[in-house]
Amino acid sequence: MKLLTHNMLTSHVKGVIKGYPLLIKATEVKVNEVEFNPQFVSRMVPKLEWTALIQAAEELGHRQDLPDELIPDYDGNEEFLKKVHRTLLEVEVMEGCLKCPESGREFPISRGIPNMLLNEDEV
Amino acid sequence: MSELSADGEPAADSAGITVTIGATVPTGFEHTAAEEVKEKICVDAKISKDRGRIYFPITTDKLVQVHRLRSVDNLFVVVEEYDHYQFKESKEETLAELQQLASKLPWNDALDVWKLNRTFKKKKSHRRGANKSKAKPDVDGQDAAEVENEQEGVPEALSEDASNCDGIDQAETSTPDQEDQPPEGKVTKFRVTCSRAGDKHSFSSNEAARDFGGAVQEHFQWKADMTKFDIEVLLNIHNEEVVIGIALTEESLHRRNISHFGPTTLRSTLCYGMLRLCKPQPSDIILDPMCGTGAIPLEGAIEFRNAFYMAGDNNDMAVNRTANNVFHFQKQQADKGSSFGLPIDTVRWDLCSLPMRTSSVDIIITDMPFGKRMGSRKKNWDLYPSCLREMARVIRPGSGKAVLLTQDKKCFTKALSRMGGLWKKVHTVWVNVGGLHAGVFLLKRTAAVFGQTPEDVYVPQADRSSHKEEKDSSEVS
Repeated sequence: MKLLTHNMLTSHVKGVIKGYPLLIKATEVKVNEVEFNPQFVSRMVPKLEWTALIQAAEELGHRQDLPDELIPDYDGNEEFLKKVHRTLLEVEVMEGCLKCPESGREFPISRGIPNMLLNEDEV
Repeated sequence: MSELSADGEPAADSAGITVTIGATVPTGFEHTAAEEVKEKICVDAKISKDRGRIYFPITTDKLVQVHRLRSVDNLFVVVEEYDHYQFKESKEETLAELQQLASKLPWNDALDVWKLNRTFKKKKSHRRGANKSKAKPDVDGQDAAEVENEQEGVPEALSEDASNCDGIDQAETSTPDQEDQPPEGKVTKFRVTCSRAGDKHSFSSNEAARDFGGAVQEHFQWKADMTKFDIEVLLNIHNEEVVIGIALTEESLHRRNISHFGPTTLRSTLCYGMLRLCKPQPSDIILDPMCGTGAIPLEGAIEFRNAFYMAGDNNDMAVNRTANNVFHFQKQQADKGSSFGLPIDTVRWDLCSLPMRTSSVDIIITDMPFGKRMGSRKKNWDLYPSCLREMARVIRPGSGKAVLLTQDKKCFTKALSRMGGLWKKVHTVWVNVGGLHAGVFLLKRTAAVFGQTPEDVYVPQADRSSHKEEKDSSEVS
């Protein structure tokens, strides 16, 4: 699971109001090279929940000193964009789980695939 | 560009000779295929009245690029084409004329292209054993043998499932020890495949193939062989349009990316056509909420790389197959020296309750259960409206687009008609999927914010009284 995906995933357990962002408990993390495209990254930044991204990167130990808040003029800043690229696409959680911040419900991640299915009684 | 000199020899031009290439494409996607040809080969394609075929001129230096086209199922080089062939009255006369035609056709250029084309194929002597296991569409849980991917330039004949879209049996050419051309003294083997459509013909495709084939054999002194042929001659007759060609692909390119098949795997050319319809832009988040084996998002991640793909399914096997297909492709790329990962992730989820932020997705593209091979008609009545609502929630209002393939057009159209506040139908492409007549619906998301239109509070009949309040409060996320 890449952190870009994590940035969009949310807990949908019945009754939960604040199911985002999911906490990550990772037992295996991999870093895989993905082709860098600056346009992709700079256009993606406004679509992200920045705080959630930083928090997730921090949880995995891959923060790379990215700032708490978005810097203005990141568009032409290649060094910055490369770090964001790495965080979004290259760091992958292979094993572990995602945890709903409100209910504590854990969603397992296995072979890089999170299982977000709820049981019948949770829907 | 290059001209032929008087004796038909190619002029001394590095571009090579000019020929017309014919391509079969998924019916309904002729225009997107022509767009791709314009974009990559820089020529205008003619769309044939014979559905599922386009024609375009190339110089032979472009042949390698032609093989890389993603919209194309099969390729052939045109020997001759007649737009208004005047058939004779009687069957005997017509067939006799076809026989005479064989020796009069301008075969040379097409044969030169055929020879050139052969030089592209790598010798694969180990293939014989590997690809005899063919995955049929209705076998569950069976993984097909590995399939070569022709990403970098040259197409390998793929291990292919037998349900070929135009009903022509494409047999394996199994001559692993054969070089580019038959060695001295070895006879060229051929067969003729005829496809005929129209109600005014006095003959059948078998008769035409037989007689025309006989004359071709006479003319070239080749040997006819239905299964182990070197050259496949195509005779396509569609009303008054007659095209004679020589095949350049042994088997369809259409399942190229998939090594792990599932029960309803969609061919890659169809996936590509659907992706082109929604015109992915850089940084688009593209969702396939019922991805099956991942054919669509995988094709997207390979061909429209500047977007990000999320593939999901509730089925355990489907999700594993998708991940395996992605992994397999990446490994193949790594073996060829390119080590980059694909911009795609796989998640297991329930599409009626997507674990995703509202308005986080730009495009949704998927193959919806047909109710025949997968799911059931009855299930679709509840599934389609729930799907459409949930998809409307996660997609961005105003700019979001959806491209949805379904055979259950009635159920889909009905479900859609109740969602006018959320979705607008922009365009429909009618296609043929494994013999079933299906529709690809291009939808645009309205600007209406989710949670404020009457459609958002749809509750199935049975649950209406007790669950309405709960539903209302859980919509907002």
